[in-house]
Amino acid sequence: MLGFLTARQAGVDDPLRLRRAESTRRVLSLKLNPDRDVDRVHGNGINTIDIDAVEGRYMLSGGADGVIVIYDLENYSRKQQYSCKAVCTVGRSSRYVHKFSVETVQWYPYDTGMFVSSSFDKTMKVWDSETLKPAEVFEFEGNVYSHHLSPIARKHSLIAVGTKDPKIQLCDLKSGSRIHVLQGHRSEILSVRWSPRYDHILATASADSKVKVWDVRQASGSLFTLDQHNGDKSKASSEAVNTAHNGRVNGLCFTGDGLYLLTTGTDDRMRLWNSATGENTLVNYGKVCNESRKRLQFTVSRGCSPEFVFVPCGSSVAVYALHTGELVTTLRGHYNNVDCCEFHPDYQELYSGGKDCNILAWVPVPRASDVEEESKSANQAAADQSSVNPAFQDAWSSDED
Amino acid sequence: MNRKRALISDAFKVKKIRNETQKFGAVSEGDGPTDIRSTLETLMKLFPRKLFNDTLPQIVVKHQLYSIHNDKTLVDKELNKLREQGELLMFQLGFDADAFGLVFASDYKAKVLAGEDGRTTRATVEKFLEKLPSPCTELSFSKDKMLRELHFTDSEITQLVKSGVLTVRDAGSWWLSIPNSGKFTKYFIQGRKAVLGMVKKSKYSEVLKTELEERRTTSLVKFHMKYHIHDIVGAEMVESISTTSGTLLRFVDS
Repeated sequence: MLGFLTARQAGVDDPLRLRRAESTRRVLSLKLNPDRDVDRVHGNGINTIDIDAVEGRYMLSGGADGVIVIYDLENYSRKQQYSCKAVCTVGRSSRYVHKFSVETVQWYPYDTGMFVSSSFDKTMKVWDSETLKPAEVFEFEGNVYSHHLSPIARKHSLIAVGTKDPKIQLCDLKSGSRIHVLQGHRSEILSVRWSPRYDHILATASADSKVKVWDVRQASGSLFTLDQHNGDKSKASSEAVNTAHNGRVNGLCFTGDGLYLLTTGTDDRMRLWNSATGENTLVNYGKVCNESRKRLQFTVSRGCSPEFVFVPCGSSVAVYALHTGELVTTLRGHYNNVDCCEFHPDYQELYSGGKDCNILAWVPVPRASDVEEESKSANQAAADQSSVNPAFQDAWSSDED
Repeated sequence: MNRKRALISDAFKVKKIRNETQKFGAVSEGDGPTDIRSTLETLMKLFPRKLFNDTLPQIVVKHQLYSIHNDKTLVDKELNKLREQGELLMFQLGFDADAFGLVFASDYKAKVLAGEDGRTTRATVEKFLEKLPSPCTELSFSKDKMLRELHFTDSEITQLVKSGVLTVRDAGSWWLSIPNSGKFTKYFIQGRKAVLGMVKKSKYSEVLKTELEERRTTSLVKFHMKYHIHDIVGAEMVESISTTSGTLLRFVDS
């Protein structure tokens, strides 16, 4: 570590190198911390969580009973022990609450004044976070499995919605119109995802084992379909031509830079694809247990090298290295199936929610303090109990001193 | 320090990984440079030739290699290299979409020709083996390809299917296959089921690897116990956990 700091100081190393090294070290040491807790508000399983992209301060969670909760993740108390409080809830008593389970929630990418939630009651609601009332309700004909707003779009504000219908609907937030439809799949759409690199590229995964990548500006069909055998027709039986998996595809995730796309399927496999060409990179992750009949929310780390994939596997979260496919570790702590996980890129923390109604925060293990520091802090702690971290101490002094 | 591998110094990784994966007991796999070829040869030695009266070449299933080497992507890459060099042939075994059989090319050719001795189909089979593109990276052939590129007639294709070198995949396309491998598949599946049953019936559905190797096998298990253990560990049907008394195999409920 000191070597990295000196190299950075001397200008031998790029500043990014130190940051990446430290982020990777932190991700490799993720553990459950007794000091960090998330308020338990849900009475039923948690289906989806989302952390806002602007500040990384608020977290949304949607539950199987239709309840939506907003948590504050920042720790402004000066204590080590912190429990993320629920700021507000759309509970069962609210007039506008979803009737059935909430499947996807997402913050509006530019500020936390608005969020969108979609549910099995065949509606998608756009909520005002201040008043907790829906500003707009979109109704559909089948269960809504997944929706996604593009995190980088400036020219459009389309929400891609995947429902039981094989057609993907694009709902416009500005005008409320839903006439733009993408046709091509043959079965229900389990997951949709916009690319974080281009605002017109959309990837969709369906129960017919296919994953299609679309350019929404084009009038014709999809750009390409992902093929697990890379066009080598000899490897598979003839029904499995042009499929991404040998079963339903229920999870999609782009890497942070948008260059690669990860897909998971009920054939217990996870595949890494080059998002520009649609080529299967043939990284072998082994058996990634997947029994979900709905969308699986998994996530990729950002800012580390090598990048890590966090996949919910049964009642634990498996961590794989992105490009080599090796299983780095398994995070065990939930009492029941884990349904969703989300990575906080600024603090390298992982939040996971599952059927046991808990959201667990996996926090990097803090560095062990040196022997000298320990004795000094022991003296300080005796004198001054509240200040644990000298960074929080008020060191301001007025000019007249 | 191996500069090629990581962007960050190994010193950073060591603290966490050492705590998590302390190897207890006997460490069976060496961590040296992965030599896939020698692993293949070791696994091939486990294949019982006498059982099939020497008519079959030695077959190794691809996922057996995953139980010996940790990095699956590396194993896949090395196998592709060997196939491109023309030394190894891969076959779709048929009972599982993911189960691929590996045979050394020279072995395969020798056994097939030996099996064709004195048969009417010998000439066609010889012609096919010669025409087989070496390095052969394909698992199946379509009718188009057979007629145009390899210049085989319909009746010759029928002869090849009869001799067992090709098996029907679908109307107009065939898998490359090993003649007389039906017996192999039958014994393999039977043995796999029996060994898995042994692990499942044990107390807590787990058993030490060394203990399993020493158990008396029923008549259903015709292959070497180690062959089956590599298979079930590599296919992730059992979890392999290192403990202070050796490797433990625990049945995975899926």
